[in-house]
Amino acid sequence: MSIQTDPILLEVLKNGFEAIADEMALILMRTAHSPIVRDAMDYSTALCNARGETIAQGVTTPMHLGSFYDAMNFLVQHFAGDIHPGDVFIGNDPYLIQGQHLPDIYVIEPIFAEGEIQAWATTIAHHADVGGLVPGSNSIGATEIHQEGLRLPFLKLLDKGKENDTVMQIVAANVRVPDQVIGDLRAQMAAARAGRQGFEALLNRYGAAQISHYAEALQDQAEVFSRKAIEAIPDGTYSFVDHIDGLGEDPQPIELHLKLTVRGSEITADWTGTSPQVKGGINAPLSFCKSNVYAALRSIMPEEVPNCHGYTRPITVTAPPGTLVSCTYPAPCGARGITGYRIIDCIFGALAEALPDKIAADNTGGSTLPSFGGQVGGKPFVFSECVMGVWGATSQHDGQSGVPHMGSNQSNVPIEMIEADYPLRIERYGFVADTGGAGEFRGGVSIQREWRALAGDTYFGVRSDKVYHPPHGLFGGAEGKPAFTEIEAGHALRSIPPLATRAETLGEGDLVRHRMAGGGGYGDPLRRDPTRVAEDVLDGLVSPDAAREAYGVVLTEAGPDLAATEELRARLRAAATQ
Amino acid sequence: MSGSGYRIAADIGGTFTDIACLSADGRLVTRKVPSTPADYATAIIEAMSDLGQAEGGVRFDEVLHASTVATNAILEGKGAKTALITTEGFRDVLELRRIRVPRLYEPLYEKPAPLVPRRHRFELPERLDAQGNVLKALDETALEALIDHIAGLDIEAVAVCFLHSHVNPVHERMVGERLRMRLPDHFISLSCEVLPEIREYERTSTTVANAYIGPPVARYLRSLSARLKEAGQDGRLSMMQSSGGVQQIETIIAKPATVVESGPAAGVVGAARMGARAGYDNIITFDMGGTTAKAAMVEGGRISSTSEYEVGGGISLSAGLVKGGGYALKLPVIDVSEVGAGGGSMVRIDAAGALKVGPQSAGSAPGPLCYDQGGEAATVTDANVVLGYLNQDALAGGSVPIRSDLSRAEFEGKIAPHLGTDLHEAAFGVHKLANVTMMRAVKAVSTYRGRDPRDFTLFCFGGNGGVHGAMIARELEMSRVVVPPAAGVYSAVGLLFADFEATRSRAFLGLLDAETAPRAEALLREMEAEVLDELDVEAPEVRWSADLRYAGQAFELQIDLPRGDLAGHLDAVREAFEAEHRRSYGHLLEGAIQIVNLRVLGAVAPQTPDQMTLEERSPPAEGTIRPVYFGALGLHDTPVLRRHALTEAPMQGPAIIEEYEGTTVVPPDATVFRDAFDNIVIDFVKGAGA
Repeated sequence: MSIQTDPILLEVLKNGFEAIADEMALILMRTAHSPIVRDAMDYSTALCNARGETIAQGVTTPMHLGSFYDAMNFLVQHFAGDIHPGDVFIGNDPYLIQGQHLPDIYVIEPIFAEGEIQAWATTIAHHADVGGLVPGSNSIGATEIHQEGLRLPFLKLLDKGKENDTVMQIVAANVRVPDQVIGDLRAQMAAARAGRQGFEALLNRYGAAQISHYAEALQDQAEVFSRKAIEAIPDGTYSFVDHIDGLGEDPQPIELHLKLTVRGSEITADWTGTSPQVKGGINAPLSFCKSNVYAALRSIMPEEVPNCHGYTRPITVTAPPGTLVSCTYPAPCGARGITGYRIIDCIFGALAEALPDKIAADNTGGSTLPSFGGQVGGKPFVFSECVMGVWGATSQHDGQSGVPHMGSNQSNVPIEMIEADYPLRIERYGFVADTGGAGEFRGGVSIQREWRALAGDTYFGVRSDKVYHPPHGLFGGAEGKPAFTEIEAGHALRSIPPLATRAETLGEGDLVRHRMAGGGGYGDPLRRDPTRVAEDVLDGLVSPDAAREAYGVVLTEAGPDLAATEELRARLRAAATQ
Repeated sequence: MSGSGYRIAADIGGTFTDIACLSADGRLVTRKVPSTPADYATAIIEAMSDLGQAEGGVRFDEVLHASTVATNAILEGKGAKTALITTEGFRDVLELRRIRVPRLYEPLYEKPAPLVPRRHRFELPERLDAQGNVLKALDETALEALIDHIAGLDIEAVAVCFLHSHVNPVHERMVGERLRMRLPDHFISLSCEVLPEIREYERTSTTVANAYIGPPVARYLRSLSARLKEAGQDGRLSMMQSSGGVQQIETIIAKPATVVESGPAAGVVGAARMGARAGYDNIITFDMGGTTAKAAMVEGGRISSTSEYEVGGGISLSAGLVKGGGYALKLPVIDVSEVGAGGGSMVRIDAAGALKVGPQSAGSAPGPLCYDQGGEAATVTDANVVLGYLNQDALAGGSVPIRSDLSRAEFEGKIAPHLGTDLHEAAFGVHKLANVTMMRAVKAVSTYRGRDPRDFTLFCFGGNGGVHGAMIARELEMSRVVVPPAAGVYSAVGLLFADFEATRSRAFLGLLDAETAPRAEALLREMEAEVLDELDVEAPEVRWSADLRYAGQAFELQIDLPRGDLAGHLDAVREAFEAEHRRSYGHLLEGAIQIVNLRVLGAVAPQTPDQMTLEERSPPAEGTIRPVYFGALGLHDTPVLRRHALTEAPMQGPAIIEEYEGTTVVPPDATVFRDAFDNIVIDFVKGAGA
């Protein structure tokens, strides 16, 4: 039976699918227990078709956009013939099920009609802890995945509606904060159930044949959009090399090499030349690499492109196995988020010349992920959060400060909640002057956050970057100031490497100070409107000295002295060309 | 109270002011007049004298109003020049926000500018811990120096927000006292007075918004009050709050952040009260205007409210998930879900060739094509004209002439050929797509919170509510639709029926158990005393409630508490929480329940007549029939009726009811009758979905 596509009904059902994915996301957020899910919103929800291709995804984490397909594809094939109404699947392992990394646990429920699988309600959430070397399960120092915590192949968490208590008990016994992890799993189950019920209502209303026809038509529509957006990029090959600072006490730069080839309506991202996988938890499985390439390219497409698998059809991602961006067993990948951020940054870096008005100068490199853990009153605690974020400037405005990385739209955790729940005190959270890269448009200024340990023997680990390779500027804009992390113990100050492989121990009263890198500038700083420089000085974002030296602006009590500024700028230009 | 028995209400919008006037014997008279932005009082005073003259000169006992003055100050960046004082190390909390941005995949995103620029954000040495213990005493020398500095700046308002002040306000109060003494003409906003609740960004943002709109709201209300007195109208002047209760203006002036959503709240209150009178306790309101459509829920006669609100956040389909586009304002507000679809929503073809409706709107100028005022794109209203839902010659009871040929030409020449369908199918497609968007607003207040819309009546108002309501109800399998009298000016009507309310909320961190119950109860009694003091009337209705969650969660559910004896009813409260959790999220957890906030509400209902009759204006000629298209149900010759042509006996559709305040469309598969309260009631026979 062939069904004609009615464009109106297509739009109706697209809305229907999106509304269900959003409802799932809301339920997950409101019932979750861990700060990283309930406050930072590091999770995603989606509806997938019977083959496991995303039909609609809730508005949560861009990096997760392509994260369902590979795992779903594996699940559908592996369990073929053994999937029943009332089953709910759980899994997390990058090598066993094409997952992301161990903290990202999938909870997935099939949706049936007429005795056949019609679709899947899928959720993925970053859990507070899944065991392993360090609290938070994101050890940079891990050398193989077996040190990173609990590995779950796809298992039935519910078997025809009956909860598998064995799985629950194994999970609870292997994580440091079982209340949070089990609470979040229940939130995922509630979200998946809501997704199934919502989709069942659509199946009842329109019939399975019609729903599946339109779910396909939506994929085709997304592909049309995607091809049009790619056609708008001039054909050619765009290359870019970026770095991650490196592991441990003696960091050696880890290189990412990207060759982006645009031919008509197709685009290929080739990562040949990228550093081999490393003995540290930052390796990215290919599924995660693809996810990030999709998210980056999605952001140069028009807003109305449906968030479904179809838009990825004209995009090819290739990466040699065994590299940082396509790691193989047993490479550890607990802290691979940083590599995802860099993958997105590489795509933008490569496209800057081709799309100068759509790309910002380099940003702070993603979130900094500090983790704290220890014991208070005999009970273990684990606290980690995402510190974000600073963007580079664009051709239209200054870089933003206090924004998430493009890849992960997360929130900060309220200071008052942290201090109420954990033996930590936040002593400063704010901007730092003279850290944004100078430019006609200035890069965003750095953000600094400071944590004081209130309990002795507190574990501290951090995943950060951009200490040795600060964010680059574009078209004459300067680079942003580099990041740093240090620990102040009494009068002693010690510097912490960007990707610390060694656990630090904080004594009671020790202070951790972290500053993110400033964003890159855009365009020649000597072309910046002197009034804007004066405003920045008033707001304490640029010092009077920097106004003079970096921007050539001479300030008086009443504002910029335009004549003196012109003269100074002429001198600075002349000096630069000599 | 001795008086004339006349009460008048005005909903002042940017373009129109809606007026409703009610006499003691139940005569309701309405007007829609152009707003007078130079002095908003002018439109009200003119309408008062116009309405009063017919009665031989009337002194109105009460003037109630709703206004967008507070919202506009924020949207247009025209609030007071404000300073902010914070704990040392935290002046950037306001600008850092919660980091999340409302737009994904947008590298060129720009955050909204903070309401207080960094140069006017100041820090003072002081610090408390999470339990409220003083770790570092307030530096009073630094405070005096800072006040000297602020006095020399061009600043009208000062907001103060210290960490943990919701637990212990000692330092904030010291600062507040000195500020009020030394800067008596400045508007002072302390976070412990505005929103004593945990989460520093939300509390700071709310306190700052309160300061920012304080001076303009005070100026507006004082001028309005003075102008009314000059005109001989000295009845009580009150204003609608976002929470759905009205308050006298002096209380509003002290805490103006409570009125940002006053207009939309009034409509929902009207629906709740008038719905309850007619026996509809479970309703979803559907308020459709020219640019947006809004939905809210009334369950068991109670309006659902929320405190997850941002002012100026724009309209989003994924409300609740996408935050950061506006300014967080965590005060109680009726939970209104809003989407960008209205009569003026424009039709376009996107890059993939798909038909899109909205969110761009042609507004009232240039408006839809049929207005013939230079509009360039077809709108939802044009589709409704083509379908025959709207009058073919003029709208608003003949007062706005239209050219239906312009609407038809666009659909015939452009949209239908693109879709490969005929004129009517194309217009019906646009109508349906607008409905799809608006259904998401309805779902956001129902299914997203575990409620099934089929258990509710759709209560429609706003200029276009009656045009789209029945089709939306059918899509959602809701069996009953109600369109009340004066639906086009319903916020004004709602004001007349709103309770006079005072509320208090306090942060309270403790578990729901026998040990903490007495402490919670003592605080609730203290809050109740404040509420009673503010209301100053005999025996108001008083309600206690708490925001509860399982220990470890971050989102709370608001649950009623027994007034007076909490300790004796802990099991009942626990059960009520569990029932609501199961209902909203589909599951229960084990473990302790945490109290996060305590709330007390005191309310006094207004004196209103039992029956109400609406003055009818320019009804359609009897015997009018026109062809109307209903999609799969076909093209029907449809009678065009006045509301009073309907009786209590159900009549089979199709029918169109045309009134000055708006049009109601009754599809062929529904019946319609007029109930004892003059509501138009449309019923679908169960299982007859198309």
